[in-house]
Amino acid sequence: MTTREIMYREAIRDAQREEMLRDPTVFLIGEDLRDPWGGTYKATQNLSTEFGNERVLNTPICEETIIGASLGAALTGLRPVAELMYFDFVMRSMDAVVNQVAKVRYMSGGQVKVPLVIRTQGGGGRSSAAQHGNSLEAWICHVPGLFVAMPSTPYDAKGLLKTAIRMDDPVFFIEHKLLYMTKGPVPDEEYTIPFGVADVKRKGDDVTIVATSRMVLFALEAAAELEKEGISAEVIDPRTLVPLDEATILESVHKTNRLVVVNEGVERCGWAAEVAALVQKKGFGDLDAPIERVCTRNVPLPFQPDLENYVLPSVADIVRAAKYTLGKVE
Amino acid sequence: MTPETILDAETKTLWLDMFRKLVRIRHFERSAFELYTAGKLPGFMHISIGQEATAVGACSALRPDDYMTSTHRGHGDTIAKGVSVEGAMAELFGRVTGVCRAKGGSMHIADFSQNVLGANGIVAAGAPIAVGAGLSAKKRGTDQVVLCFFGDGALASGPIHESMNCAALWKLPVIFLRQNNQYAESTPRTDYQGIPDVVEWAKGYGISAVRVDGNDVLAVYRAVKEAAARARRGEGPSFIESETYRWYGHNIGDPGTWRPKEEIQAWKAKDPIPRFRKVILENGAATDADLDAIEAEEEARLQAAIEAAEAAPKPKPGTALEDVYVDPDLGAQAIQGVRP
Repeated sequence: MTTREIMYREAIRDAQREEMLRDPTVFLIGEDLRDPWGGTYKATQNLSTEFGNERVLNTPICEETIIGASLGAALTGLRPVAELMYFDFVMRSMDAVVNQVAKVRYMSGGQVKVPLVIRTQGGGGRSSAAQHGNSLEAWICHVPGLFVAMPSTPYDAKGLLKTAIRMDDPVFFIEHKLLYMTKGPVPDEEYTIPFGVADVKRKGDDVTIVATSRMVLFALEAAAELEKEGISAEVIDPRTLVPLDEATILESVHKTNRLVVVNEGVERCGWAAEVAALVQKKGFGDLDAPIERVCTRNVPLPFQPDLENYVLPSVADIVRAAKYTLGKVE
Repeated sequence: MTPETILDAETKTLWLDMFRKLVRIRHFERSAFELYTAGKLPGFMHISIGQEATAVGACSALRPDDYMTSTHRGHGDTIAKGVSVEGAMAELFGRVTGVCRAKGGSMHIADFSQNVLGANGIVAAGAPIAVGAGLSAKKRGTDQVVLCFFGDGALASGPIHESMNCAALWKLPVIFLRQNNQYAESTPRTDYQGIPDVVEWAKGYGISAVRVDGNDVLAVYRAVKEAAARARRGEGPSFIESETYRWYGHNIGDPGTWRPKEEIQAWKAKDPIPRFRKVILENGAATDADLDAIEAEEEARLQAAIEAAEAAPKPKPGTALEDVYVDPDLGAQAIQGVRP
């Protein structure tokens, strides 16, 4: 299998392109998607040039109608891929996402399919401050009726997005602004990645680190640090948060007996708490130490880089948490 | 009301069908109210008695393949568009035979076989969905139109603005029909809307806009028919202000007695059903006996629907976990929890 190195944003773009070629009912809808702008993070670059403005619909700034209209289109025979420019802007469309998209199938007693993908990007780390750097995945995971994907590599991003576009259920697809420029190998051949299947990004024996999105990169760096100290960390990327591949996490904890969960959302009532609750319930006997969470501090994201780095999870925080589970830190 | 001068067979059929639906909705709403008050229906509900002409006139002007979105006060709208009283009544009873398998209830009646995209518990939330259905019709190259019902109070809500702007911008086949029943829950127009004439406001979006007597079923029919024709010609959205009144309170539990008695009486005098009966008789479209027979048929049908609904089984509690996702395996994986 031949591969080439591409950027995460190119992987997102290529997935949309391939699915648009494959299925004429797929179309893109959102703010500033068309060329020459090509998306605020360039994840739709060249697509309006190739497919025309009909298939790449630029909207006014009206997030609730972007999502609500996508739902209306999904209910009537089309397969929209909607982009919310920033995860933070989901608040402007929360009724459409939560009360409409996620529930229409259920409320109608299973009458309809909702083949709709909502793409967005979140995360801090570039001084975007408190209204452009939120990581709200826990909010979305809290809503029954949605599937939630959160890829960390170009390979996963492309394969998962292609799967998402083909699904008949609504998918909330969360990218990260600081992953768009990262590179990774992607096969030339077509492939898809199933939902609900985690990827073990690094094998290890002493401690399990479950991490999401950009935090996977941090966890891998932390694992390299830990290796220098003779600690073997296993890094698991669940890739989809809903559904969650519980088995891969539980099997790993069965082997390592220790768990660190890393997520960029704020700690309180966050996604890491959900994983911790799961493992203490289903893997209680395997645990030799309390589960550690490494998340953003429970404050709004500050603007100034030193302040921001202080509240976001860091590689050092992960290293420390892993060592803590092994009794190697005070 | 303008009497029709020429009555062909088609018009006669249409009129009698509209009369039948007016009566059907009136019976349905009266019964829903009584059954609820008698403690037979769970939840809560919003009754649309008084507004039937708007629902029936508008939906009768559509084709079966046209789409419709409605509101929390959606019994009449959805029945007018083709939802069966049997399915709707069983839904109110919370039975497996309900049109939404007892998952939705009064505020969420949807029937995709009739292109009823759903009533909606959230004020103004149907408008973006209607825009999407209109976008879809346009993209798929059909000449379907979308009727978007919303209440007077929704006008003040953001999604209406967004949706009217998008529909005008993209020239979508959407008919925004405001059912002005005079109160946003308990709030009169003067407390939520700065511009007195909402037709002028709608024109500001570049949308063709008219006001109709919402208790005149033929006036509503004509306005929607014209708007639909314009939409099918690719001339974009329309706005219709339909002036009507809900006889009852905001929801069951609110007797509505906080409104002036004279106001209620004045509107009851404009009851759309006797008004239309008079027009039918004056134009010789039917006899009193014909119309009485229609009323009796609808009454009997509804009674049977109530009995059938009451006799139908309640859903098994475990079915609460069904209908969340299409994908059975991923859905099961997503739903599973840790409860012992």
